[in-house]
Amino acid sequence: MILDLERFQAQARPRWSKLELLLAALESRPDRRLNLVEAEQLQEIYAQTAADLNRVTHGALAPDLRQYLERLVARAYAELYCAPPTRSEIWRPRRWLRIFTAFPETFRRQSRYFALAVMITVLGCALGGLGVRYDPGSVDVLLPADYLRNPGQRVHEEEKGQSRDLPSAQLEAAFSAQLIQHNIQVALLAAALGVTYGIGTALLLFENGVLLGAVAVHYTQQGFGLFVTAWLLPHGVFEIPSILIAGQAGFYLARLLLRRREDRNVRQSMREWLVLIAGLAMMLVWAGMMEAFFSQHHAPVLPYGFKIAVGGAELALLTVYLLLIGRRDTGAEVRTSVPSENK
Amino acid sequence: MTNSQPIRWATTAEVTIATPEGVLFRLPLAGPASRLYAMLLDIAIVLGTVNGVGLLVYWIFAKAPGFGVMVITLGEFAIGFAYGALLEGFWNGQTIGKRLFHLRVIDQAGLPLRIEQAWVRNLMRVFDALPFAYLVGGISALSNPLMQRFGDRMAGTLVVCQTPLVAPGEGSWTRQKYNSFMDYPTIAMKLRRAATPELASLIQDALRRRTELAAYARREIYRELATYLHSEISPFPDELVEMLSDEQYLINAAGVLFGDQRLSRVRG
Repeated sequence: MILDLERFQAQARPRWSKLELLLAALESRPDRRLNLVEAEQLQEIYAQTAADLNRVTHGALAPDLRQYLERLVARAYAELYCAPPTRSEIWRPRRWLRIFTAFPETFRRQSRYFALAVMITVLGCALGGLGVRYDPGSVDVLLPADYLRNPGQRVHEEEKGQSRDLPSAQLEAAFSAQLIQHNIQVALLAAALGVTYGIGTALLLFENGVLLGAVAVHYTQQGFGLFVTAWLLPHGVFEIPSILIAGQAGFYLARLLLRRREDRNVRQSMREWLVLIAGLAMMLVWAGMMEAFFSQHHAPVLPYGFKIAVGGAELALLTVYLLLIGRRDTGAEVRTSVPSENK
Repeated sequence: MTNSQPIRWATTAEVTIATPEGVLFRLPLAGPASRLYAMLLDIAIVLGTVNGVGLLVYWIFAKAPGFGVMVITLGEFAIGFAYGALLEGFWNGQTIGKRLFHLRVIDQAGLPLRIEQAWVRNLMRVFDALPFAYLVGGISALSNPLMQRFGDRMAGTLVVCQTPLVAPGEGSWTRQKYNSFMDYPTIAMKLRRAATPELASLIQDALRRRTELAAYARREIYRELATYLHSEISPFPDELVEMLSDEQYLINAAGVLFGDQRLSRVRG
């Protein structure tokens, strides 16, 4: 049966206009919550408009009208079925401070992916270190140009401050910003490469491990083990774990992809990924500042023993933070927030 | 209500959402071209903002350029990621570029975008942008029926077109006071019964788009439709038809098809 469009429109137009007005009011003020009467009214007009859409879809070929009604129904559906947090809720400080406890909790919940990242990096380290140890010629292949210079000469330059044209707080500030930017980009890439089912993440971690192992062995062989430890430790204790956590996020993403069909709580799962990214970004900000303002100063300005002690203290604090903060809540969260990950 | 799972399926140009109550509605998906234009505009806005802020920062830190570099480097980096995530998260799924090109990011269940989804899809740009010029993201969007780049797939989001719509107005051709076809209620009833919804819509569209058609095209279309109706469906008397133009024939036919049904019954 062909729908009498003109009469149908004349009858239905008042409720469509009413729905439009109601939706415009709601959309212009996202903070506004419907009271019971308004919610019932919206539900009722939504149901009527949906029925109108159904009639137009099956009883007439009126593409413009159908499109208009579809848009109207889609907007009403979005208002009825979704109540995003209000802006005042989003900007509440407690909500943002929660990241400081959510990060270690998430880290522990997904610790198996961290262990995988550590294993791959250690494997890379071993390969890089053994390569340099037993095949000195591989240094040319494994290390970038900057590290290929004679370690003795480089240590001498670093200790004299000759490698820096303008050794000042200003230069350090600019350097720290560049480090933070670069490191966060690399970490983010490692985490995002999880979409390659973790293969890209694994390759990036492995390459990083090879470089780390090769540098450590190359400098140690030349008798500069203390120097390189004091040089890398103060910022490395944050930088290297951050890259490992990026790998953890990447493998977590890969696991999500593999079990996407069975995991109904994708939104919560992606929140876990985001928390890991936010946490590692905070760590890399600290690592960048330490590398620029602290690590680049060598003996006699800063004794190596002192630098290593600072690095050790940082590592202890980071370990305590990641393993203990929010520990009492973790058990409850495991049961309530990510059921699919703990089945 | 939020736990109910809507069903969706997609063609190349639109996605259909089935709500838990069984209501179906379609959303037009944004094509790669409009998304590219919106992105280019957003990039221009970000670059403009960064450079503007950069000049201000250099002026403020004129005596300490190193700190100026630090602020600019970190600011540029933060704006690059936060621009898309914060605007989409708090501004109805739209950046400035998307708003100007009538695009909107939504949840793939047809619901509004959440702030976490906005962050995920924008952080995933580091992968979608590989190896250059968003090649990975572009290939992903073109190979996916929902036109999602990897960021959209992970965040569970869609980019849809959202051109403003108004309720279609009434056609003046339906408001004529006298319709000579109504003088022949039997033939008019036959026309009403025999016309398929497709044919009725075709007549309606042809009349509604009268001013959009070139004169010769309009004459041809109206002639073909009128001839078809007269010979195959509604053989109104020749003496009546000879007095009508093809356009008037169609207007009368549309009046029969879409007009008040009671009229024909009363007259019949």
